[in-house]
Amino acid sequence: MKHANTSESHKARAMLLATRAVVYAVLVFLSVLCLFSFYLLIVNASRSNADLQGGFRFLPQGNFLVNLKNAWNDASINIPRGMLNSFIVASCTALLTTYFSALTAYGLHAYEFKLKRAAFTFILAVMVIPKQVSAAGFVQLCYKFHLTNSYLPLVLPGVAAPIVFFYMKQYMESTLPMEIIDAARVDGSGEFYTFNRIILPMLKPALAVQMIFSFVESWNNYFLPALLLDKAELKTVPIMIAQLRAADYSKFDLGKVYMFILLAILPVLAVYIFLSKSIIKGVTAGSVKG
Amino acid sequence: MKKLFALLLVLVMLLSLAACGDKGESEPSGGGTAPAEPAPAEPDGEGKVFNIHAWNEEFKGFFEKYYEVPEGITVNWIITPSTDGAYQDKLDAALLGQSGAADDDKVDMFLAEADYILKYTNSGATQDVTALGVTDFSNAYPYTVQAASDASGVVKGVSFQCCPAAMIYRRSIAKDVLGTDDPAEVQAAVSDWDKFNAVAEQAAAKGYLMTASEAATYRVFSNNVTSPWVDGNNKLQIDANIQAWMKQAKEFSDKGYTQDCDIWSDECTAQMFASGKAMCYFGPAWYFNFSMGNAQDAEKGCSGDWAICEGPQAHFWGGTWLLAASGSDNPTMLADVMNTFINNEEVCSNLVEKEAQFSNNKAVNAKFAEDPDFGSEFLGGQNDTAMFAEMAGNIKFENQTVYDQLLNEGLQANWREYCKGTVSEEEAMSNFYKYVNEKYPSVVTP
Amino acid sequence: MGKQPLRRKGVSYAKWGYIFIAPFFLAYAVFHLAPQVLTVYNSFFENYREGLTQVGPNFVGLKNYAALFTPDSSGSVDILKYAGNTLALWLGGAVPQILVALLLAIFFTSYRLRIKGQAFFKAVIYLPNLIMASAFSMLFYTLFSNVGPVNQLLMQLGWSDHVIDFFAVKFTVRGLICLMNFLMWFGNTTILLMAGIMGIDQSLFEASTIDGASSLQTFFRVTLPLLTPILVYTVITALIGGLQMFDVPQVLTNGLGTPNRSSTTLIMYLNNYLGTSKNYGMAGAISVVVFLLTGLLSVLVFKSLARQREP
Repeated sequence: MKHANTSESHKARAMLLATRAVVYAVLVFLSVLCLFSFYLLIVNASRSNADLQGGFRFLPQGNFLVNLKNAWNDASINIPRGMLNSFIVASCTALLTTYFSALTAYGLHAYEFKLKRAAFTFILAVMVIPKQVSAAGFVQLCYKFHLTNSYLPLVLPGVAAPIVFFYMKQYMESTLPMEIIDAARVDGSGEFYTFNRIILPMLKPALAVQMIFSFVESWNNYFLPALLLDKAELKTVPIMIAQLRAADYSKFDLGKVYMFILLAILPVLAVYIFLSKSIIKGVTAGSVKG
Repeated sequence: MKKLFALLLVLVMLLSLAACGDKGESEPSGGGTAPAEPAPAEPDGEGKVFNIHAWNEEFKGFFEKYYEVPEGITVNWIITPSTDGAYQDKLDAALLGQSGAADDDKVDMFLAEADYILKYTNSGATQDVTALGVTDFSNAYPYTVQAASDASGVVKGVSFQCCPAAMIYRRSIAKDVLGTDDPAEVQAAVSDWDKFNAVAEQAAAKGYLMTASEAATYRVFSNNVTSPWVDGNNKLQIDANIQAWMKQAKEFSDKGYTQDCDIWSDECTAQMFASGKAMCYFGPAWYFNFSMGNAQDAEKGCSGDWAICEGPQAHFWGGTWLLAASGSDNPTMLADVMNTFINNEEVCSNLVEKEAQFSNNKAVNAKFAEDPDFGSEFLGGQNDTAMFAEMAGNIKFENQTVYDQLLNEGLQANWREYCKGTVSEEEAMSNFYKYVNEKYPSVVTP
Repeated sequence: MGKQPLRRKGVSYAKWGYIFIAPFFLAYAVFHLAPQVLTVYNSFFENYREGLTQVGPNFVGLKNYAALFTPDSSGSVDILKYAGNTLALWLGGAVPQILVALLLAIFFTSYRLRIKGQAFFKAVIYLPNLIMASAFSMLFYTLFSNVGPVNQLLMQLGWSDHVIDFFAVKFTVRGLICLMNFLMWFGNTTILLMAGIMGIDQSLFEASTIDGASSLQTFFRVTLPLLTPILVYTVITALIGGLQMFDVPQVLTNGLGTPNRSSTTLIMYLNNYLGTSKNYGMAGAISVVVFLLTGLLSVLVFKSLARQREP
């Protein structure tokens, strides 16, 4: 095909402009939908408890700083402490989950061994087990082994995350040429060195994506931490939010609740923006072609 | 072949763990009965840590202000939010593991609400407080003692507050409908359900709503049932009073005397504004003090346009009980805490005066009931303490069961669908029975 | 799975495979296996709590399963109804979610379009996922309640002459649940797919442009085939997540699946048994059914997507 004449390239330009217009329109529309719920949250965080009882409002009210102060000074919770705790749990979980899932996926991707198919099938099979019921059983086991008031039962299970593993496996399948591994071996690189220094950097986008997901999931996790942690200094953000909600009538303040929900989003948003920078183009560019 | 192997692997693991699981599972059932044995009394060998389970910090605040902890004892609060049943889940696990726990980890006291208190009083997890030295209930309201007692009348705890509930009505609407806003005269007009329903018709004729939610009156009916939800053969039965509510709800809904919504919904609370049309709400002091924000709103509200009277039947709503855990290693302090919060005049007075509580001490409440300066602005100057002191004696806690909270909630929610007309009566009841079976496997439904 | 590693003569790397996957299986055995096995085991037992009294476990064989599949008085089988609800809710949310996410991923990665403000858009579309599901549902509830702004607006515009009870109509309740799930998860899926597209060797795109392929052709000939593994992942995990749908309908309908249990999902059903009575027998049986259903559907998806890839 040849496009020599200018009218066709004009047409192409016009097409591109039109496409761009449509694309921006779609993006703006979806952004408005997404921002709207976030906006409502901000509005609610700026309203007093009595005002919130009165129903819906479109415009922010003047109680933002009062709610902030009240939430910050609430005697039953310690917001900075909760955020720090949540941050520790969520980042440890995210790191462990992504690293070991990538390691497992690489083990099944790069090596040939007898139980390879069996191991793969097993992980896929357990991936579809609903997690709700095992959560209850898990709590019972933690009580039995006195694993309460510890972050270990919240963090360590992340080492075995079938869904994250599956993503890593699929990602390697579409982007990781075996030739790189062979080339590394020729250069005398050890297997762990190859994985940590050559493969992991190539998986950066996938690692970033899954780190975001597991961080967010862990950050918002309520049920398990609520049952396992009772020392005030160990409590995480969702437990504290639930505690504000369970406050007695004389202290209950929905404005504080919304304020804390809003505050709790900010660290995750920061982590998200930071990590999403790693989702970049062409990590494998220039590598050996498959 | 390899798939087969994987399957085999899973199976072997399943079986090996099933064997272990068997052992593990049988333990809780034993634990359920173990705490029944009373703790050996060792007067001078009491524990150093006093563990209290609670779902919020209301009582913790009162405790820290008004109770002097004996020297050498540390109080450890275990606060678990009630969201998603986490409080009871954690408390149950602790109580079931009580016999195996170290002394300093044992639950000594825990807090419970009326809605589920029987689950604990009717089990071996709580102990007789009269044996510990809590014996004087002469100033406590009888229903608070009934609620803390098991089926054979053994008292397992006390309440530090009393929550008699009233019919809260709009003075201006009552004047328009009944020609008076005087509590005694309004009370005479609604003193039983037939009269109440007749007033509803009059109110509707003038364009008002009798209540803002068909469930507003539910608690009044359910507090006064003459038979429990479940009979001796574990069969579900619907008490005549509950049936009366069902009839009233449907009638009110069809005739437009009320709205089909939850009592906590925006729709229901919107009627509290000055522009609202609802004549009656039902609730205790905490309800009009803290949950009627729309009525108290400076611009759109109608503070002062309200008053209370007993309504068709006496009832209560809310309240927190302190229960004594079996196996506590601090029996002396346990009894002391309980005695302090029901019998110590100074502490009870502080609760009324400084904490806006209606205390569980008749003598103290009577003192404030007679005080002419003690009136509520919101109620147009009416002395609510006096009104509640008068009503609290009529409250009953009879025919209640461990099933009450969820069955009451479930019936209201499923019946509302019928009131709205989205399902037939049969479907509503069938959905309710399904709900019962899911929550309580042993209860036999029609 | 087509590519085989070259084997250096005399060196076997098999043991490294075992070493690399060992931590996963160890952690799995310690933290996940026991409760999961208990779940299956419990499904053959009568095992629940009444108040503080534990009933069972007593072996009852397949009785729990029989109870699940026993028709009610009107002749319908509850678990099938809830499976139908779940699938309907999943399809309504997941299909637009994956399509829109795919479209957005292409927008963001296209070097012809060169979207400006990408960082902003990417952050914004992920926002709903950061709001806790319960808070998100509460916001939606106030928006669409009988005294909420949507109703006010509809009346003011004259589109409706009476209050519409959005939570009493099957279609609108389900619609709201689908919309919320869509909003909460499309950003998530977009990022997944974007990472997948960006992992593709950029020289392949350059090559196809040099060969004169249109962007549509590039998409179908280059991007889609190479993205298939990630797409398979997306669809399967969306399926798993969809069949385990719980928090949005639970909070929005107060756990009741109104109207007439038409938005009760399988996991809400499970949760009904688990919540108060700790009925591990029935809950175990439901989880096994959900497990089998998810497995079956996953295999179907896997097979049909993998076949498309063959020719």
